[in-house]
Amino acid sequence: MPDLIGYILYAIVLTGGGYLLAAHMIRVYAGERNLLSPLLGPVERGFYSLAGIRPGASQGWRGYALAVLGFNLAGFGLLYAILRLQGLLPLNPDGIGAMSPDLAFNTAVSFVTNTNWQAYSGEAQLSYLAQMAGLTLQNFVSAATGMAVAVAVIRGFTGTKDSGLGNFWCDMTRSVLYVLLPLSVILGLILILQGVPQTLLGAAHVTTLEGADQVIARGPAASQVAIKQLGTNGGGFFGVNSAHPFENPTIVSNMFQTMAILLIPVSFCFLFGRMAKDGRQGWAIFAAMSAMFVLGLTVIYLGETGGNPLLGAGANMEGKELRFGAALSALWAEATTAASNGSVNAMHDSFMPLSGLVTLINMQIGEVIFGGVGAGFYGMLLYVVLAVFLAGLMVGRSPEYLGRKIEGREVTLAILAFLSMPLGILVGGAISATVPMALQSVQDAGPHGLSEILYGYSSAIGNNGSAFAGWGAAEPWQTTALGLAMLLGRYAIIVPMLAIAGSLIAKQQSPSTAGTFPTHGPLFVTLLIVTVVIFGALTFFPVLALGPIAEHTALIAGQGY
Amino acid sequence: MSRSDLAPKGLYMAALKAAFTKLDPRQLMGNAVIFVTAIVAAMTTLLALRDAALGADDAAVSLQIAFWLWVCVLFANFAEALAEGRGKARADSLRATKAETMVKLLASEDDSSPKEIASSSLRKGQLVLVEAGDLIPTDAEVIRGVASVDESAITGESAPVIRESGGDRSSVTGGTRIVSDSLIIRIVAEPGKSFLDRMISMVEGAERQKTPNEIALNILLAGLTLIFLLVVVTLEPFARYSGIVIPVVTLAALFVTLIPTTIGGLLSAIGIAGMDRLVRANVIAKSGRASRRQAMSTRCCSTRPEPSPSATGWPMPSCPPGASAKGSLRRRHSLPRLPTRRPRGNPSSNWPKS
Repeated sequence: MPDLIGYILYAIVLTGGGYLLAAHMIRVYAGERNLLSPLLGPVERGFYSLAGIRPGASQGWRGYALAVLGFNLAGFGLLYAILRLQGLLPLNPDGIGAMSPDLAFNTAVSFVTNTNWQAYSGEAQLSYLAQMAGLTLQNFVSAATGMAVAVAVIRGFTGTKDSGLGNFWCDMTRSVLYVLLPLSVILGLILILQGVPQTLLGAAHVTTLEGADQVIARGPAASQVAIKQLGTNGGGFFGVNSAHPFENPTIVSNMFQTMAILLIPVSFCFLFGRMAKDGRQGWAIFAAMSAMFVLGLTVIYLGETGGNPLLGAGANMEGKELRFGAALSALWAEATTAASNGSVNAMHDSFMPLSGLVTLINMQIGEVIFGGVGAGFYGMLLYVVLAVFLAGLMVGRSPEYLGRKIEGREVTLAILAFLSMPLGILVGGAISATVPMALQSVQDAGPHGLSEILYGYSSAIGNNGSAFAGWGAAEPWQTTALGLAMLLGRYAIIVPMLAIAGSLIAKQQSPSTAGTFPTHGPLFVTLLIVTVVIFGALTFFPVLALGPIAEHTALIAGQGY
Repeated sequence: MSRSDLAPKGLYMAALKAAFTKLDPRQLMGNAVIFVTAIVAAMTTLLALRDAALGADDAAVSLQIAFWLWVCVLFANFAEALAEGRGKARADSLRATKAETMVKLLASEDDSSPKEIASSSLRKGQLVLVEAGDLIPTDAEVIRGVASVDESAITGESAPVIRESGGDRSSVTGGTRIVSDSLIIRIVAEPGKSFLDRMISMVEGAERQKTPNEIALNILLAGLTLIFLLVVVTLEPFARYSGIVIPVVTLAALFVTLIPTTIGGLLSAIGIAGMDRLVRANVIAKSGRASRRQAMSTRCCSTRPEPSPSATGWPMPSCPPGASAKGSLRRRHSLPRLPTRRPRGNPSSNWPKS
């Protein structure tokens, strides 16, 4: 019962916060005066005049996509250089040397794509400069990239030809300045209050009671933890992420961090409603996402609080956050895989098979249950395109969404974007399950080993970044293959979605009449959920049957892996 | 018109035959899903025969799977052939109204000794005398006289209408009959280009045009087929990892069950059937696009279409009020241009219940 009250409280605060944030964001992206304009307006204009950007100039979808790709490529180059040269650069009190090329590639790609897959251990392999100027910078701009793309895609669905898709440089700058930065400052201060370290001093060396020398890692953690949660990045300051007592010291910090994972993704639903000038459209998508979220949370909660049948009731605490209990581990796990966050406060590898199944499905459907900042929302719009098209055919009408026709071009692009998921997860996973060099990564035997492989590739494609702990992601094969998977999962969806937006905005908008298929009612919500489930389930069910489902049946039969 | 005369027994036999001739890969290629199913069927057959020759344990299962795959392909072909056959049968029944008659050709308006010639040899511009009881041979303009004309064959209106020279009631359509008095008419249509001729050629539907939705759906189906190909191909190594070897025939069967064979196989048949339904409601759709628009449109053809080649509606027997097909119909026969902001039909609109 207390668990349920906690969950309901979480839902209420999150929904309310998201709603208020959307009210702020609509002004931000329209370039209107907002709460923070007096303070940050001059900074924003300063950036534009430095870079020679005309804030009013809208880009076509190609221009927008090229700006995204160019900006991210430059970010990748910078981060790769820092990681390789960190031994020579300042702010390195612990004297950490250069990262290996394949690991640096993997890390740079993972932070640029908002994945934050951590094949390294932060406290051991990164200098403070690399953490702050390298990773934290990308934490901000990769999140801002996702938000900018989502805003552009929403403009494509709701805007007019004259207003255009907007300008990437403006959307990105505004996302950082007016949304991510202020929220991070607030959350960072709260975390410091709760005891998360924020210092530039090196690791503390203490002598224990036995007289041994103990090294306690610390550093500028609070600032990075705040943005890794808010920007659905997930790359923790410490190797074990928010299961580390310095990264997540109290139940208050735990609740704030769990909340921060979904705050911006939730607000995008309401932002969409506002931009469409029809709040119900946003609520419909919010309802579909919430329903799937609650369903997943229920399965994980029951699995994790229920205990392991092989061990007896209550004996299922391996890998859990012991301080906060199974319920908050379940909530975090559902939130972090539904969104493309990937931070953890419990080890998903130790979850029951069916809970693992839920986390896998959350990622394999493309992380559209709220999803990554921006990324989750434009991912969901991909399903909306497909759902509207299928609905149109079923009722025998021209498929339309928000008054615009969904035709061959949109369907082609949506399928193209969707294709990246089976391509990366199934093909990448199949190769990884076959090639001897890749097989070295697997820790556990039997179906659980297969789940580990699947989780790794689902996480990379979904730009999630969490993993089944124990799977050797630092092997050169995996660092390279997963790096490529992250690129595929990010840009093979961004580019087609921008193209869809470009195609839709050029179409004439017809007013809705009594005969229009309504896209705000329960029928549409159901249809959207069914589309997500059918596309995801049919694609991944066969292989999931060999992984977590086989493990579950083996567990019932009395065998654990 | 009843269903039976649209689909006589012979039609089924012809469709059955066509189901096999349509196995030609060049024809199958038009439909990605069925083409893939046919390839899988062929492969499965080879594997099943190999199993049978080697006396493998599961040869019977393989043969059965191969059999069902072929049934699937053949049924899709059969459905398409049957739908096409119905369209042709309809064209034949229309052609029957275009009877070959003798007509009275006049040299000039005052010519009192008409020459009898076959209606098929009439040329544009020639003058013809039609008297009570005569069929009007082809589309024409009234030059002299007033007569009552029975246009029920085209419009379904049982009461004869008055046609006279001058004014906007001066055109007559081929296939209608003079009830009283006589007219001198000038032919306005080249042979084979009359209203009735165009109707027939359309119903025969030389080429069925694909609708934008159909194209989009085909892309979706092809995309899904590709996705499920990835699913099945990668299942093999995943299963091998798990220590299971799945027979290829089983994978093939799984593949065909995953890909959207039902909709893929029946898609073209659905399109043709839709047009056929419209024909039964006496509206001819050149393409599925028109039939879709029909379903969406609440606009009527003009209240009572003028039966003339330049008429604003397409006069047809028993045209139900409120039925019209936009799209290619409008382009070809100058239906009034509907407003761009087309009102959407609600489900209870005037769509004829047939």
